[in-house]
Amino acid sequence: MNVDYHALAPEIILGITVLAVLVVDLLRIPKYWTAVIGLVGLFAAFVPVLTLGFCESLDFCTEPETAQRVLFGGSFVVDTFSLVLKGLFLGATAVALLLSVGYIEEDRYWQGEFYFLMLCSALGAVVLASSRDLVTLFVALELVTGPTFLMAGWRKGDPRSNEAALKYFIIGVLSAAILLFGMSLVYGYTGELTFGGIRAATAALGDSALLTIGVILTLLGFAFKVSAVPFHFWTPDTYQGAPIPVTAYLSVVSKTAGFVGLLTLSYQAFAELRDVWGPLLWILAALSMTVGNLIAVRQDDIVRLLGYSSIAQGGFILVPFGAAVAGNVTGDQLEQAFFATVTYLLIYAVMNMGAFAVVIAGANRLKSTLIADWGGLSSYAPGLAGLLALFFASLAGIPPIAGWFAKLVMFSSVLGVDSGWATALAVIAVLNSVVAFYYYAKVIKSAWFDQVPDTIPAAELRGMGRAVAPSLQFALVLTAVGVLVLGIFPNLIADVGDVAKTVAAGF
Amino acid sequence: MDVGDWVSTPQNWVFLVIALPMLFAGFKVVQTSNVVHAVLYLVGTLGGSAALFILLGAEFVAWTVVLVYIGAVIVLFLFGIMITRAPLGFDVTLSHPVRIRVAAAVVAFVLFALVGGAMLAEFENQTIPEAADATRTVEIGLSIFDRFVIPFEVVSVVLLAALIGGIVLARRDPAEEEEAGVVR
Amino acid sequence: MCQSRAVPLLALAAQTPNLYSPRPGPQAASASHKGFFETVLDQYFGDYITVAAFLGMGALLVAGAVLASAALRPNNPTAVKSQSYECGIDPVGGGWSQTQIRYYIFALLFLIFDVEAVFIFPWAVGLETFSDLGMGVFVLVEMVIFIGILVLGLVYAVRKGVLRWE
Repeated sequence: MNVDYHALAPEIILGITVLAVLVVDLLRIPKYWTAVIGLVGLFAAFVPVLTLGFCESLDFCTEPETAQRVLFGGSFVVDTFSLVLKGLFLGATAVALLLSVGYIEEDRYWQGEFYFLMLCSALGAVVLASSRDLVTLFVALELVTGPTFLMAGWRKGDPRSNEAALKYFIIGVLSAAILLFGMSLVYGYTGELTFGGIRAATAALGDSALLTIGVILTLLGFAFKVSAVPFHFWTPDTYQGAPIPVTAYLSVVSKTAGFVGLLTLSYQAFAELRDVWGPLLWILAALSMTVGNLIAVRQDDIVRLLGYSSIAQGGFILVPFGAAVAGNVTGDQLEQAFFATVTYLLIYAVMNMGAFAVVIAGANRLKSTLIADWGGLSSYAPGLAGLLALFFASLAGIPPIAGWFAKLVMFSSVLGVDSGWATALAVIAVLNSVVAFYYYAKVIKSAWFDQVPDTIPAAELRGMGRAVAPSLQFALVLTAVGVLVLGIFPNLIADVGDVAKTVAAGF
Repeated sequence: MDVGDWVSTPQNWVFLVIALPMLFAGFKVVQTSNVVHAVLYLVGTLGGSAALFILLGAEFVAWTVVLVYIGAVIVLFLFGIMITRAPLGFDVTLSHPVRIRVAAAVVAFVLFALVGGAMLAEFENQTIPEAADATRTVEIGLSIFDRFVIPFEVVSVVLLAALIGGIVLARRDPAEEEEAGVVR
Repeated sequence: MCQSRAVPLLALAAQTPNLYSPRPGPQAASASHKGFFETVLDQYFGDYITVAAFLGMGALLVAGAVLASAALRPNNPTAVKSQSYECGIDPVGGGWSQTQIRYYIFALLFLIFDVEAVFIFPWAVGLETFSDLGMGVFVLVEMVIFIGILVLGLVYAVRKGVLRWE
């Protein structure tokens, strides 16, 4: 058995980190060492991602014969797309870990186990990025979601946390059952498990009602994961009830993992079935954007608002999928749509993490996440208010902060397609961007231009920005710099997204 | 395959004998108002599915279903019920108003019609090809440790995460543990 | 049941199934239907029919005994007779006490290690075949990793005191 261990290196290192965190938790040393080991492990797992990516220019790295490393008959593929996403998952988990260090230490939570579960979930996401086979995809997806059920209910005495975990769990396992049923129908019809095999089989065997139902059910299982409307009902309550670092992790890593599943399934396994998933994802995109934005307008709690905003952002990310709804779409345009989705995911990860970092920093001292209570933040915490404005402007898509490039590529991917439906989707996206701008601006206005409410002792909280935990400060600085750099130099992220188009090749 | 062929194949009669009680048990799981009865009807459904696996020649899967599902998962269900003080008897929360029950029945029927209709349209009157031999455990082993190594190891991490998480959920709070003098 | 099948393990190893090609889907229509007790599969069915027969007879026996006694005995329930039995003295308190959560942890641990056992079965059965195929060490290391990960979970449970019986 010759196994390409270099290709498996990120997973192996992350697996060792997971076990090391558990062992360190059992020793009688201070609990923050588990977080340290976790961070070190995440950085260590990032190193092989880099060496795999830049293999040609390194001496000790042997290039594989084919352009990508294929293991186990095609079920586990390490190509540039999977490397880019592995990097995203590792980075986002590192930031989420930084966010949770201060948060978890303060309350009487279980600490070492929390980091252990978060790293387990990250390991699942890293495996998911490479899985090109129904079984591996499902098992990796379960590893991503299983620990998050537990993390959502981490505040054991808090009824809202329990409610969050329970709702998330019940809808999560229902969606896993639907996903599995769809996968079983697809396997039963084609007789194949690998995505390449399914694609070849669907091309050879032709259309069928059974296959259509199987494809729809499989994609709907992932629609739950990415909180697409009408499968979004767990999102607001879970985001609000769970500890905020868990919410940040869910909204970035968990959602991106769902999108990776959608991307690889749609562009590889179901590539011949564009007339099935094109319209389906068109409908999901339109509904998610509209419903997410409209309900977000009426929110008065920042975390819940960010929850609905992430539903709407999920809708924006689904928009390029709708480009496939046209019958005459070319291979280049599909590659462009793929590129748009990946780029948006990368930018969304950075800005959403930043937004949640600010919310954690503020909620820590203000003890409240109501928008009204955040009024006049600029008068006693100008740095925090500035960062708040930065990240929310980025979410709204205002140049020169990162979000604008994401919206640009999203629009251009759909407008280039010659179809009435694609143009309609672009129009819906534009309208929704305007609506979204309203509620992001509402939060910024409240922080900068409103009076401080009477319940907040502003004088005592003066300078609270400097009193934030160092790990949280570091995360804030990291995401703020990222958002600014990606906004001013978008070609950096465009190059990364370009390189990741390997999955969509072959149209 | 016409009716005569169907009637003369004994596997079909065995299937009928297994599937009809299974359908009944499955229906009763969602219809009964007694939570413990629901779990026991679930045992019937799972036992039926194990028997169907044996009928298909997959005996390893069948005994795995019996060992893991009926042996461990149902036990976990029952412990969960006992711990959460569910009164053993008629439980009001398990009975829903009529309109919800009607809506559920309609949704179930529509789904059944869709999937069943698609299957019938696709396979019409083909038969399941008879396997040359029942699936041997060795073949399953070859499959797991050769092709599906990655999912196998990922499953071990899933199990570990579930174990740790379950223990964290079920443990006493840190304050109570300090009183009891347990090592953290 | 295993001995009745004549296919030796080494012959199986020689014809290792191609795991990467699809199994014949339902598109391949079945050949003529074979009769009873003609193929290897019919011996398998024969064995399970024996199992089912024994199960059925056992169920009939028990049901018959219970029904017979229910039919033959007099049925005069009184209030005193239908109280729960507590060693002859008057019953005290309600009949329902809350189970402690430690039993749940035991059941959870059992579930996890039960699933582990299910994975160990095909490994143990096929170890000889694997080593004949040249992947013996690889498979051994895989299984050691698998078991090691779960033993770590057990060590965690022991160290955190959840297996303590107070």
